[in-house]
Amino acid sequence: MIDSIAEIAADRLAGYERDFLCSLYERMALIREFEERVKFLFLEGAMPGTIHQCQGQEATAVGVCAALNADDWITSTFRGHGHALSKGLTPQELLDELFGARTGCCKGKGGSMHVGNMEKGMVPGIAIVAGGIPLAAGMALAFKMQKSSQVVACFFGDGAVAEGAFHEGVNMAALWRLPAIFVCENNLYGASTHISKVMKNTRVSDRAASYGFRGETVDGNDVLAVYEATRRAADECRFGNGPVLLELLTYRRTGHSRRDPCSYQAKDERERWFSRDPLDRFAAVLRQRGDVAQADLDQLKARIETQINEAVEKAQRAPLPQGADLLTDIFAGAGKEERKR
Amino acid sequence: MELLMKMPDLATTDSAIKLIRWLVEPGQAVKRGQPLVEIETDKATSEVESIATGVLKQVRALPDDMVFAGQVIAVFEVAGASPGSTQAASQTSIPSPSAKPSAVTPAPLPSQSGGLFARNRAAAVQQAIVKTPAAALSPTQRTVGRRMQASKQTIPHFYLQASANAERMILRRKAAAPKKLVWDAMFVCAVGNALKKFERICWRFEEDELVASETDAVGVAVDVQGDLYVVAIAAPRSKTAEQISDEIRAGVERLEAGDPEARAIRPANLTITNLGAANVESFAAIINPPETAILAIGKIAPAAVVQEGQVVIQNRVSLTLSVDHRIVNGKYAADFLSAIVREVEVF
Repeated sequence: MIDSIAEIAADRLAGYERDFLCSLYERMALIREFEERVKFLFLEGAMPGTIHQCQGQEATAVGVCAALNADDWITSTFRGHGHALSKGLTPQELLDELFGARTGCCKGKGGSMHVGNMEKGMVPGIAIVAGGIPLAAGMALAFKMQKSSQVVACFFGDGAVAEGAFHEGVNMAALWRLPAIFVCENNLYGASTHISKVMKNTRVSDRAASYGFRGETVDGNDVLAVYEATRRAADECRFGNGPVLLELLTYRRTGHSRRDPCSYQAKDERERWFSRDPLDRFAAVLRQRGDVAQADLDQLKARIETQINEAVEKAQRAPLPQGADLLTDIFAGAGKEERKR
Repeated sequence: MELLMKMPDLATTDSAIKLIRWLVEPGQAVKRGQPLVEIETDKATSEVESIATGVLKQVRALPDDMVFAGQVIAVFEVAGASPGSTQAASQTSIPSPSAKPSAVTPAPLPSQSGGLFARNRAAAVQQAIVKTPAAALSPTQRTVGRRMQASKQTIPHFYLQASANAERMILRRKAAAPKKLVWDAMFVCAVGNALKKFERICWRFEEDELVASETDAVGVAVDVQGDLYVVAIAAPRSKTAEQISDEIRAGVERLEAGDPEARAIRPANLTITNLGAANVESFAAIINPPETAILAIGKIAPAAVVQEGQVVIQNRVSLTLSVDHRIVNGKYAADFLSAIVREVEVF
């Protein structure tokens, strides 16, 4: 699978503005720094619970979300920090949530596995594997019935593909030509199980043809390739030609969760994928362009570090939910009207 | 400045984490994120990364040590304020998470793993949400409470009651004067003798199989200033009632003196508990795990008994045996209780 991943050709960047490309890199760097800080907060004992992290998969989240409009939606999984940061949630509201504070994006009631913000087009993370797929089909059905031009991008992992919910959700979306982009972040492992142990045909995008719609496999560690593929898919969906299945080939640099030592990833496999790190690769082509210097990237990194440090300090002192908060947010309220505010 | 590193919460349960080996020697330089120590949890072995950039000054746990999450495992010497380490370092200098915040100083950070919950508790105290009065449990009472709860929740108890003629015991106690025998000493003798033919009582239930106990002891439950302890009498069949009586007295004295060794939990095959002195006629007790049974002894009191067609007055004692049904059935336990009654009556 890695063999199909080639270097990013620098001339592909030619048609893009410098600021846009830098914003893609900055968003990926923000996710990486966020996840690394969270990792150390866990190791230091400052953050309780287990955490599912996405170091190595930054390009999938950033590339997809950069191609969506502000009023488009995403659904996410238990590994949702990157999706949230890409969809415009702030590090502060995420860290507050991870520390269980009432200022968190879910008022401290969701935690790491359920981050989201309905105001920003992200349904709180759906931690059941493949659980988001039928839900996204339902959201897309709503868009179609409302004659809206919105689309939903539904993130899930390779582990979700062999679940029954995948078949049910994708089948209905295909039948009704719904505006849903099914985004499979194929990182080769469902928890600790290699994809080859759970499916005969490991090319996930092939599944789309059997349901009668288009599927595409994309280098998921190339943020620009992900962005372009998502743009195409979103356009098709908006013109009534959805859904689309995008298989983004990527790799998780950490264990499934904080307590997973990840010993099932072979050393040579890790090394090969690490050499295709989405940040390093994109930084290299940015530098080749000429108008982005290493100093610019270093400066950007320093700025992000400061931002995260401040957010961590603040999150650790953020107010916790009170007894009375148990009785709020029990019934759904964030409908269309609320989102349009 | 010094920075302490605690064992991260890497076990999926609350169980201890085994330290396999240090990957950095004391005195060596180390970087934040560098593999520092290899550990083993219930599930897997893994490398734990250093939280600090600096020099590993001291290790506080050695290979093969069992360490709990939150326990300090390493001390680093770190310089200045590198990102991340500042925050961790400041934690070590903060005295306690319950210190009161003032207008100028920010609220203290949670001190360690489980900090969120510590923080909830601190917040609850500060905001006086908790208004009901609360009394702290003594460490012993906490242990007893936990063990008794586990016993009642996991052991299918059943109870058998009988009574025994206590006249011979009363005579035996008089014969031992001037040094009075502790009543329990005689019951320990009786139970010890009865156990000889009922070895299944000495077995233990472990993961769906019975394991023979390696101990030969009968425990005596004692209340010391409101705390419950067990004085274990080893090899009771090899001792006289006088020896056992002295042993129980000495055990209680050591417990009253706060001897930590005497307070440690020591396994026995069966415990006896006696509330006769407190005027209780009969009661049923909770098994002291991992034992199979517990004998509850009531007050020795005169009773009207029909003997060979005649009503006679006789001192009797009520004996209630609580038994683990996973290990023995009713008939076996009944035969065992009869054996105890016989031993009491022939004393």
